[in-house]
Amino acid sequence: MAEEVIILKDLKLVPDKYYDYSQTLRNSKTPIVIDNGSFTCKAGWATSSVPNLIFKNILARPRKERGKKDGETLIGNDIANIEAVRFQLKSQFDRNVITQFNVQEQIFDYTFSHLGIDSNGSINHPIIITEPVANPNYSRLLMSELLFECYHVPGICYGIDGLFSYQHNGHNDKTGLVVNCGHHTTHIIPVINGTPDLINSRRIDVGGYHITYYLHKLLQLKYPAHYNAITPSRAEELIYEHGFLAVHYTDALKQWSDPEYYDHNVKRIQLPYSMAVVLTPDQQRDKRREMAKKLVEMNARKRDEKLAEDEEQLHQLLMIREMIEDGEPIEEVREVLRSHGLKNEKDLRKLIIDLQTRIDRAKSKIAAASLNASNIEEHEEPKLRFFKNKIQLPKEESISKIWLKDIYKKRQDIIDKKTVRKQRRQDMAKRGTAASLERMRLISQLARKDKRDDDFGSRDEDWDVYKVINKEGGDTDSEEEQEKISELEEVLRFYDPTFVSSNTYEEQNPKEAHQLHFGIERMRCTEVLFQPSIIGCGQGGITDTIEFILKKYNVQTANDIAENVFLTGGPTKLPYFKQRVYRELREMRPLESNINVKLSDSPFLDAWFGAREFASKHDFHKYLLTPEMYAEMGGDYFIENYCSNMYYPLPEAVQEPEGLSEQNIEI
Amino acid sequence: MANNPVDELSQREEKKHVFKDSTFDNSKTVNGKKKLWRSLKQITAQERNLPWPDNSINYSSISAPPSFKPAKKYSDISGLIAKYKDPQTSLYYAGHEEFSTVRNLPSDIITGYLTLRGSYNPIG
Repeated sequence: MAEEVIILKDLKLVPDKYYDYSQTLRNSKTPIVIDNGSFTCKAGWATSSVPNLIFKNILARPRKERGKKDGETLIGNDIANIEAVRFQLKSQFDRNVITQFNVQEQIFDYTFSHLGIDSNGSINHPIIITEPVANPNYSRLLMSELLFECYHVPGICYGIDGLFSYQHNGHNDKTGLVVNCGHHTTHIIPVINGTPDLINSRRIDVGGYHITYYLHKLLQLKYPAHYNAITPSRAEELIYEHGFLAVHYTDALKQWSDPEYYDHNVKRIQLPYSMAVVLTPDQQRDKRREMAKKLVEMNARKRDEKLAEDEEQLHQLLMIREMIEDGEPIEEVREVLRSHGLKNEKDLRKLIIDLQTRIDRAKSKIAAASLNASNIEEHEEPKLRFFKNKIQLPKEESISKIWLKDIYKKRQDIIDKKTVRKQRRQDMAKRGTAASLERMRLISQLARKDKRDDDFGSRDEDWDVYKVINKEGGDTDSEEEQEKISELEEVLRFYDPTFVSSNTYEEQNPKEAHQLHFGIERMRCTEVLFQPSIIGCGQGGITDTIEFILKKYNVQTANDIAENVFLTGGPTKLPYFKQRVYRELREMRPLESNINVKLSDSPFLDAWFGAREFASKHDFHKYLLTPEMYAEMGGDYFIENYCSNMYYPLPEAVQEPEGLSEQNIEI
Repeated sequence: MANNPVDELSQREEKKHVFKDSTFDNSKTVNGKKKLWRSLKQITAQERNLPWPDNSINYSSISAPPSFKPAKKYSDISGLIAKYKDPQTSLYYAGHEEFSTVRNLPSDIITGYLTLRGSYNPIG
């Protein structure tokens, strides 16, 4: 089992289809449900059983190239290979909040056109759309503006994705705790008797994105040779196929440190590779000869074409000359001359001579080339022999021994030089070593104020002092040296059967060299959700934050909350997520208290389902923000519902008149 | 006749988004310059400066607090619990086998690990 090698799937996205805008939909004002997540957007009719569209909430705008027509902007599932356009990707999100509304507009265009809507100048369907907890008023204002003024929707309803998911899973008026793990953020929202207690909610700025990012970087650092082959999409695939959460992280780490356990549980991932084809000298020569032949042929073909063209032109010109000699009418001759771009008879004669010399030259060249072709092979042989001469073993045994010794010494010298340099570098990094003391002495000497007889720099050697005080020691490990070593080693391997190479790494077979060992990383990267400190995030993890929130309630309420912990959002699909939360809650809560952790039925889609159910309620219209209200109450206004944020009007609006009146007084 | 394909194309282009208000301009050009969208940082900074009522919530107020437990240290290379820190590279490592690896790492990998952990300080 341990030897099993996993091949990456590298799934390609399939473009979304366009739905029909049926007559019933057209006339019924069916709400459109959009779960606008920063990872994927789920959109569909409230009458559909599953979202009609599920696509990555990104677009790729091709770079503008000079002289080329602008390429088409690709959105969501139109992007077959994300890695190919990685640097052109754009998202409307800044963390979990929408800020780039021009991108959002294009995403809406994509959504509505794929739903098949073709009504003129407006969308006759109310929109129910998700937004983050405590979405800034500014962002909501722009969203309402976009939907009302660009699409003229009849109504908007805003809600929080995690709460829709909670409702969908049948928690209507229960007390509980929603843990909603998103792409960029994780929200923890306590719900008291069905009403979200948003004031005591908290947001951790870590989510699925950070898991992928961490794994991507970790693998790149672990396998610098495969830097480009390790892509974010591959990291994502690895996490969702093989990642999991450790129920008890430190215990699990101890298990992994056992080599046998490691071997048994590590996943070997095969990166795509191509066999490096090594050609023998004979093959190389053949290949070179073939290339040369092709080149010669190509040249010859070009020359022939040109020759034919010239001959044709000459023929025509001669005809014209004949015409003139035959005494055709001048008008006609002039016309013909003009059609060939000539002014008069003199030009014609000159051109004919030019053409004739050109044709002659080309013909002699062709004759020379055919002669050359037979000579090429003779030219090549001595060249190769010259290569072979470069490293030649002396014939006598005693001399060859000395020669070999010399090569060994050369190699050892380079290696010694390298180790000395490394030692120096290490010494420099420490304080108090002789090397660093000497360095400090030199620096202080250089910086000394009184330089009465300052002739520094008059000799070239003076400048060497900078090499000495440089921490790197003046010169670094150069590739040149490494090349020299491998060259010498190759010679030794050839002439001395007892020689053992210093690095056996390169002799590994390419299949194994292209394998990633995905071991502790399987749970190390997912751990960022519970210990954000791993990636340098100062906030507490999921369970730390749950503990913080529970402390804000009295004992009874805290118990009620702990009895109903609900997990939703993409990353909660990871194996053992539930067990992990349960284990930590058990340690945190008082002895023998009731703890229940429930995973959402479908962590990825439940927010959409919940929003759809909300939109299907008979009193849905009560919660709709209408264009009239938008015009009357201000752009950031919306109607609260039991799954939404709370509305706080921008305080600014109240203060503005005061500021204005003050200004007036001053004037 | 020759214009027909062009007409068709433009029609299709229009047809794609007939549901939109053609007068709506989202790019908001001001004096010929494109208006830049505010970043989340700018939005929250502005939000924080407003005099909100006492019991209100906003984006910054629901940010999770730091953990009360000390952050555990894990080896940068293997991920195992780190008992030691190399004073030269300031990488964490778990045992003597890892130490030689740590010392032989090229400097870009070292800074890579430190940056990933959020503790890379180029000044010293």
